Amino acid sequence: MSVLKIENLTIKKQEETIVDNVCIDIKAGEWLALVGESGSGKSVTATVIGGLLPKALKIESGNILLENQNILNLNERAFRKIRGKQISYIFQDYQGAFSPFIKIGKQFDEMLASHTTWKKRERVELTLHMLDSVNLSAQQVYNNYPFQLSGGQVQRAAIAIATILKPKLLIADEPTTALDSLTSLKVLELIYNLKEQTGCAVLFITHDLRHVKKYANNLSIMLRGKLVEYGDKKEIVEKPKHEYTKQLLSAIPPLRNSPTRLLTINTEKEKEVTIV
Amino acid sequence: MIQTLLLSRNPYRVVILVLLALSVILMTVPVLVPFDPNHVDMGNRLQPISVEHLLGTDHLGRDLFSRILVGAQTTVGTSIFVLSIALLIGIPIGLISGYIGGRIDRMMMRVVDAFLAFPDYLVAIVLSGLLGPGMINLVIAIVTVKWVGYTRLVRSTVLSEKQKDYIAGAKINGLSSFQILLKHMIPHILGNVMVLATLDIGKIILMIAALSYIGLGAQPPSPEWGAMLNEGKSFFYNAPQLMIIPGLSIMIIVFIFNLLGDYLRDRFDVKDQKGGL
Amino acid sequence: MKLVGNSILTAKNITKKYACGHKAVDSISLEINKGECLGLVGESGCGKSTLARCLLLLERLDEGEIWLKETPLHEVHRGTIRKARKEIQAVFQNPTASLNPKLKIMDSLMEALDFQKDIQPCFFNGFQNDRLKKAEYLLDMVGISKTYLHSYPHELSGGQKQRVLIARALSIEPSLIILDEPTASLDVSIQAKILNLLKDLQDQLGVSYLFISHDLAAVNFMSNRMMVMQQGKIVDECTKQDLFSDERHTYTRQLLHVFES
Repeated sequence: MSVLKIENLTIKKQEETIVDNVCIDIKAGEWLALVGESGSGKSVTATVIGGLLPKALKIESGNILLENQNILNLNERAFRKIRGKQISYIFQDYQGAFSPFIKIGKQFDEMLASHTTWKKRERVELTLHMLDSVNLSAQQVYNNYPFQLSGGQVQRAAIAIATILKPKLLIADEPTTALDSLTSLKVLELIYNLKEQTGCAVLFITHDLRHVKKYANNLSIMLRGKLVEYGDKKEIVEKPKHEYTKQLLSAIPPLRNSPTRLLTINTEKEKEVTIV
Repeated sequence: MIQTLLLSRNPYRVVILVLLALSVILMTVPVLVPFDPNHVDMGNRLQPISVEHLLGTDHLGRDLFSRILVGAQTTVGTSIFVLSIALLIGIPIGLISGYIGGRIDRMMMRVVDAFLAFPDYLVAIVLSGLLGPGMINLVIAIVTVKWVGYTRLVRSTVLSEKQKDYIAGAKINGLSSFQILLKHMIPHILGNVMVLATLDIGKIILMIAALSYIGLGAQPPSPEWGAMLNEGKSFFYNAPQLMIIPGLSIMIIVFIFNLLGDYLRDRFDVKDQKGGL
Repeated sequence: MKLVGNSILTAKNITKKYACGHKAVDSISLEINKGECLGLVGESGCGKSTLARCLLLLERLDEGEIWLKETPLHEVHRGTIRKARKEIQAVFQNPTASLNPKLKIMDSLMEALDFQKDIQPCFFNGFQNDRLKKAEYLLDMVGISKTYLHSYPHELSGGQKQRVLIARALSIEPSLIILDEPTASLDVSIQAKILNLLKDLQDQLGVSYLFISHDLAAVNFMSNRMMVMQQGKIVDECTKQDLFSDERHTYTRQLLHVFES
């Protein structure tokens, strides 16, 4: 069954089309990677699902179905109920996941208290269990402030709090971009394990194909608001159809048999696909 | 040239335009003035508004219109002079203090804090009281309270900019500290300083007028607006225009500069957002 | 006098401590030869950027020696540092922070030449005194339209800004350019173009690079010889051919594992 279905979504910023007729379908237990470079509209797609679209942007047309229920026109209160419980987020800016002057454990507790009717003892137990399952020393981290942890530890705690209520859909917006390569590999493994345990769907947004080659089931490649390629990961990686996908794949220098030049294609003006 | 200035959207140009208009008016004052502002004519005292005396005459029969015009020269001219000196002292100290940092910076900032600890007016009144009344002492007093604002502003800009990679790049490219300040820092502080300075001119005009009103600045015969207010106050019931007209003049000119400052601040904020992409 | 042979820059046991006494760079030695690209791999916080700043003489050394050919840079007096540094240039990670937003591209691009008039690179032969022509030539080298000369940095994309900075680094014909994560803030497709450009320019001009990055794949692509840095120390050193050999340090192998998966 589809956990998330986006149908013909178009989002505009005044006259400029940011997201152009995008269709996405994620089933339970599936990991979909949305790959695109800056300005491609991938992050906007991620924010619109949880009702976090910036005010300057307007939805032109389309539907977003969460378990067959259209959530596009819900109000802010209804969205707040959905976020955290049915949809949860992990962001690139992991520092923003916790408020700096409250102990990690207390923040878990507040979050659980607002979404459930559990007793204090149950809440503590579950929190410790979750911290443990993301390979943190649970008792210690429970009593730590966010600034006492390293970036990788905070991101792992953020994953724990994002998945503690067993959401149907986990949206990960560049969660590994700000992390070291060794740490990001661990974070990726962690998301994969949690997905396997809880059976949730994962929408993983990234600019770097390397981060999704291993764990994703499906890939969607986004270029200037459009999905240029969407399908099974293996097929796309082995036989990319669109020029842009080829370019993304060849832009990563291989470790063995390193070529003397990397393949680049001048499909667009550079300005439109660069980070500023 | 006037046309390009009028049509342009560059924030600097608006300032140039306003200052240009203002200096034209101030410079043509001697030509515009119909009477000698200090010519006493006791037969014509406290005349109402008429064709000959556009704003009437004061208690000594001097033409009020002429006195207001010449007073504009004194008040606005002096405040621009005060501001220039405050900038000449404040900017270099801020640049050096922020860029060199360390002990020199800490020392300078304690001095600045000491100046900031007291209210502007209090320090200015005490200082000009100590130095004695007169325009030059007034200038010294106001410069003393005004330079610190620029030092602080410039220093904080320099502190945040000197960490950036382009400063490291400039060092690698062989620029000396002085060259770095000149080429990289000055363009950065210019916008902020200009906004603060325009907003400050209104305050300085008010301060000059206020101190002159209580008798610390310009002295009676000279047609300074604050001093005119002071002279007029004894005749308020018979001839209220002697206070109302200089008061309105102060209000209008301060208002103009504040509008200009607000406009500049908005313009620069917008530009910063663009630049910060 | 020191026997140097082929080396452009030699660092011996350089150490840089933080104010707290912790060693950011811990007794590192390296040698960069003429025309080669030495790679330096390390995760964030390992001290690789501090090392770059030390080699650029932007930080004072606590211990160690830096030799530029026959010149001992560590002994150079503060006043003459600027002269000694002429042969080393740098490109940093963040192109936006590396360009003064208030200056036109032309003025940022020509900075090194404007302030070091005695340098006359041979590729400007014929128009040594024509500033505009020199600027156009430099932009042409890195594939940027000369119409951008009078633009401000915010009108250019990140990749374009980085190209301008590469052009500036080359403008004084240095013998060494230190590239500190030059592609880390760029999209992958732009990264590929910049890496190609750097390689082409090296072939044309014979300049040496020190390529610093957290990206083992990019370092491997750029250089024949690489060093691995961890917590301020060089833990491993190898040539491209030996990267997969069994003698590699565990940390290197961990990195390899990440980039191969």
